Amino acid sequence: MPESDLKAPREGPANIEALRGKLSEYLECAGRPLTFMEVCGTHTVAIFRSGLRSLLPEGLRVLSGPGCPVCVTDQSEIDMALSLAKRDCVVLTYGDMLRVPGSSGSLLKMKGEGAAVEVVTSAIQSMEIARKNPEREVVFLGVGFETTAPATAVTLQQARRNGLDNFSVLCLHKTVPAALSALCSNPDLRIDGFILPGHVTVVTGLDEYAFLTKKLRRAAAVAGFEPEEILACMTDLARQVAERDFRLSVWRLKDVPIEGNPAARRILSEVFEPCDARWRGLGVIAGSGCRIAEPYGEFDAVRKFGLDPAEDVVDNGCRCGEVLSGLISPPECELFGRVCTPLAPVGPCMVSSEGTCGAWYRYHQ
Amino acid sequence: MVQVSSMKEDAVTSGHGSGGRLTQKLTERILSRFETEGFEMEDCAFLDKGGNDADIAVTMDGFTVSPQDFPGGDIGKLAVCGSSNDLAVRGVEPRWLTLSLIIEEGLEFSLLDRYMESAARTAKEGNIRLIAGDTKVVPHGMADKIFIAACAMGKKMSSRTLQTSNLRQGDVLILSTSPGRHGAALAAARFNIAAPGLTSDCALLWPSLKPLMALDGLRCMRDCTRGGLGTVLCEWAEGASLGVELVETNLPANRETNAICDILGFDPLYLASEGCAVVAVAPEQAEGCLDLLRQNSISRDAAVIGRIVADHPRMVGMKTRIGGMRCVDMPVGEILPRIC
Repeated sequence: MPESDLKAPREGPANIEALRGKLSEYLECAGRPLTFMEVCGTHTVAIFRSGLRSLLPEGLRVLSGPGCPVCVTDQSEIDMALSLAKRDCVVLTYGDMLRVPGSSGSLLKMKGEGAAVEVVTSAIQSMEIARKNPEREVVFLGVGFETTAPATAVTLQQARRNGLDNFSVLCLHKTVPAALSALCSNPDLRIDGFILPGHVTVVTGLDEYAFLTKKLRRAAAVAGFEPEEILACMTDLARQVAERDFRLSVWRLKDVPIEGNPAARRILSEVFEPCDARWRGLGVIAGSGCRIAEPYGEFDAVRKFGLDPAEDVVDNGCRCGEVLSGLISPPECELFGRVCTPLAPVGPCMVSSEGTCGAWYRYHQ
Repeated sequence: MVQVSSMKEDAVTSGHGSGGRLTQKLTERILSRFETEGFEMEDCAFLDKGGNDADIAVTMDGFTVSPQDFPGGDIGKLAVCGSSNDLAVRGVEPRWLTLSLIIEEGLEFSLLDRYMESAARTAKEGNIRLIAGDTKVVPHGMADKIFIAACAMGKKMSSRTLQTSNLRQGDVLILSTSPGRHGAALAAARFNIAAPGLTSDCALLWPSLKPLMALDGLRCMRDCTRGGLGTVLCEWAEGASLGVELVETNLPANRETNAICDILGFDPLYLASEGCAVVAVAPEQAEGCLDLLRQNSISRDAAVIGRIVADHPRMVGMKTRIGGMRCVDMPVGEILPRIC
């Protein structure tokens, strides 16, 4: 039986003051300042956009983690995408990947120079584009965590069924639990509790995160993206620490099935296999990536075009890795707001709409 | 050795067309080449600086919308509304129009006719006369079907000049309708997202703004086009060296716009509107202003959304639904859909 305590704040805005009061009480009980990490980029933006940060009591530090797919895409992975655009492939991508810098510019820059780079909002849309353009090689950048990976997997199944020979996927998908596990192995990291993303948990289920509470004795809770849900989640994290009662809880208006989505996981395990993946700023994390499995090998852009992911060696002074690990907050990076701004981003955390540095810059002045 | 290299600007990017900070930099770059002293360089220019009631105002606008047909309008209607509205928000009645058409070789006449009929119908509704124009045909691939440049002219209907420098601490901000409907309708069409019930707010603003000319406390107005309401307010805060304080729960909301924004990760504050104006008025005339706006169907949802404050000069703050405060900054670069 998975440990869980399924409950959600259903009372809405009136709850905010009560939750703030409880959060302060638990902080006092804990007897020391606490540090929580929101793992997911959508949480980062929700926290800033809702003004929640301005309502948090003193003694609570909230850091952003490695949960923005744009931020963690490695420079070497962007370079592979750039090389496909240079080969005259039609490169299709989710919007915010366009601005991420590789070692020689971004997809947006290449698009401005005439390369066939287009934005799609779904993986399946990319297959339709391939079908309508049989004379062109069409490559979809599969980016994101457990929320977007099933859509890529279904698209690959359909591409095989339809025998599309001009379509492939540059698969850069990553998995959240593996990254959290790697983060927690860093002895410098002092995180008391994790705010886990609701939409990822809908796929993975809660069991994947049990190691946080059971093995590592850290507070952990799943939250949706409404500010009330996030605040309720933070309050429960403080309670878990104060009472030393580490039990995964769920703070989401829509119920999260404990077992996740078995159908989605089945498709993922059929189409992908785990592989080591390079995370920007964090290095290689064992078993944290998704590689296209052999039966779908013909749709793997890495194999089809003989791509070679070069090692990320450029040191541009950007401390994205430490930001993503929660070791520093964005203003502690020497480049933040001076050399590195949304107008001239040095690292991907400043590029993405959900990037930690970008969100700090936009909402935290 | 650490090599600091950011993404340097060496060419115009699509972000320069976003209406936000990059567009501001682009226009500053262009204007720096010209002698512009004596003109405010706001939505339109007044030709006679004598200040009498018969001042002629002129504005110029280009339309390159994609797709050219969208729920609630098309490029023809947009060209007339967009250019005329730049006059309306400065208290000018739009009267005359010139159009320059850049047409891509291969454009079907049926489409051309339809866009021109739509433009003509809108002009007629607004009592605006076409008085000059130009056509150019460019080779296939050098334009996206049709680009329209529109010059609108009109007469100033008030002895006062509505401009950013009029803003005073305590002024009340009123928004005429929910923000971002045009941008949301276009995004839905562009990204193939079904959005039943969502239409652009594209409309002529003068009929709803004309009655406000009677208010001597009327300070400043702006249509929330590219860059949206957020960008307009940032420009006001910076231009007047005052702060802006918004109240999130007061903002008129459109369910379909919010749904598209949720899907794509957009903020309605930054999406373009083409029939939405923000109005700054002295506090004692705010109620009257609101009543006048609500009498017109395109602004019947008008609401007080905030005020001009002396705190945090040059910054826009928003009191959020949950009682927090956050900063509203100009968007940087093209607004792109997020991944998840």
